[in-house]
Amino acid sequence: MHRPPAYAVPKPSISAWVERLVQVATVIAPTAAHGGDVVYDVVERAEQVAWGYESSLTPLKRFLFPQVDPLLRWSTTSSDGLAVEPVADETERIFLAVRPCDIAGVLFLDRVFGRDPEDGYYLSRRQRTALIALTCARPGENCFCVCADAGPFLQAGYDLQLTELENDYLVEVGSEKGAALVELGGPLLAPAAEALREARAELEREAEGRFQEHKSYFAAALRKVTFDQVPEGLWEEMAERCLECGGCAFVCPTCTCFLTADWPAEDSGERRRLWDSCLYESYALEASGHNPRAARRDRLKARFFHKLSYQFAKPLGQHGCVGCGRCVAACMGGNDMSAVTARIRHGAM
Amino acid sequence: MENIYLPNVVEIAKVREETQDTKTFAVKFREQEQWQAFRHRPGQFVEVSVFGVGEAPFCVASRRDGSETFEITVRRTGAVTEALHGLGPGAHLGIRGPLGNGFPIEAVKGRDILFVGGGIGLPPLRPLIWEVLANRSEFGRVTVLYGARTPADLVYKDELEQWRGREDMEFMVTVDVADEHWTGNVGVVGSLFSKAQIEAKKTAAFVCGPPIMIRFAMRDLLTLGLGEESIYTTLERHMRCGVGKCNHCLIGDKYVCTDGPVFSYREIKMMMEPG
Repeated sequence: MHRPPAYAVPKPSISAWVERLVQVATVIAPTAAHGGDVVYDVVERAEQVAWGYESSLTPLKRFLFPQVDPLLRWSTTSSDGLAVEPVADETERIFLAVRPCDIAGVLFLDRVFGRDPEDGYYLSRRQRTALIALTCARPGENCFCVCADAGPFLQAGYDLQLTELENDYLVEVGSEKGAALVELGGPLLAPAAEALREARAELEREAEGRFQEHKSYFAAALRKVTFDQVPEGLWEEMAERCLECGGCAFVCPTCTCFLTADWPAEDSGERRRLWDSCLYESYALEASGHNPRAARRDRLKARFFHKLSYQFAKPLGQHGCVGCGRCVAACMGGNDMSAVTARIRHGAM
Repeated sequence: MENIYLPNVVEIAKVREETQDTKTFAVKFREQEQWQAFRHRPGQFVEVSVFGVGEAPFCVASRRDGSETFEITVRRTGAVTEALHGLGPGAHLGIRGPLGNGFPIEAVKGRDILFVGGGIGLPPLRPLIWEVLANRSEFGRVTVLYGARTPADLVYKDELEQWRGREDMEFMVTVDVADEHWTGNVGVVGSLFSKAQIEAKKTAAFVCGPPIMIRFAMRDLLTLGLGEESIYTTLERHMRCGVGKCNHCLIGDKYVCTDGPVFSYREIKMMMEPG
């Protein structure tokens, strides 16, 4: 089996490495937020990184696909009456110590926005982004990444993958971009001893045994959704419990529905892209008043068809869930992925 | 990489009042290069920007000929269409497109062609009708059936007269509700099927209109014996991005904007949420 090159950085030295990273890029890492939550946010100093966190309240997508994102600006003061210019974001970013499921989420977005025709706004940010994962030795109570092939350790897709060991962080190198960041650390990182690599492998085995609370029955759900074998009554029951808050979509690393809207000023303005949720009643509403998805039942069905069917998994390379468990926490009606796949499997609530 | 959300700036060249609530806009590109690259085919659509109000999809309602403009026919019904109706010649718009698949013209050559348009469903058919008429010898019998709510709701009145006068095609019109001057057919557009000469096995039909009209017209055509793959329509959805990214127009796993908007009855039958 191919093993990536690995380095070790003693725990007391990791901050010095982070200080070097923040010199070369905007570093986004887990940070302590109000109320005891942890969220991914920009850090300027190493001590802001919340290393011992379980998971971040929201995923990484807002940095690559912002909730409100200017696409273009127009101006009516130009000599020919109207000028329209695209808005560019050329920020270099490093996602530091982010969870494997969230890296998997980014890799999923790569395929969504990379499909023909390519979405330049996403891809240009993504090309300027390095992914440094932090493996999960102790999965959270809502986590089920192990069912979604998205953790708790990554096999590929990262630029660097960190694993916290007793006295060191093991640093696995997944790409040239990652190798350059190791180099940036200079003598802070040294090639890892074999014993450290063995300790990491042992930790991965242990971590996989720690998933208990939540499961996601993807196999049964994928088959039944693909072949339209889910009883209509089940969607109806879920619909009765859906508050149309959009929370599931907004915390989901793989949800990408959007709309655009104009912000006019006097002689100019901005067109912005905004997140949308396919569960909102207005989602498919047409100007004529015709709404092809007026029933909430149909919107739930469409949502899980998009996430789970083979028809979508095929072009996107994977079904639309990384098992991060955020919808478990967000949905007040119990329509999270874990619960929905269980209901689909059993054919009842 | 091409910016898929960046519109080209165009100018309104001419506005024609069709009905009380419907106007046709002739639109001209500012850059000749962009007009050359804009190779629109019948059945395709464009995303039209009224900057400051927003963007909405409209079918291209004109056939590509020697003209320097293309047309969209717009019923005033929402924010963007309301704003469009307030604009006149010289006003600037944004255009992205042409988008979508278009009608399968090559596939129906040699066959009888039946057009069924309801209300604001005639504009998508119009470029195809003119395309067929421009290559008249390549098709069999050509029939256009058009229905509107009232005589006042008929669009392209000059062209309707041209079609009525032609001997190489059959044209019939009907209204749901007549006024005192109307001497023609009264009833839904499907009521014209029995009056037209339709040889089911030779005929390819193109049906456009409101969802309810499409449903009934397709059912009637199947009853007449037309094949499921010989009936085409354009599906209507709120196509916000037009390029298969925003997901608003999804029906099952089909993007109306990129897989369509033109689909055969057979394709529609297989979709998970018809309507």
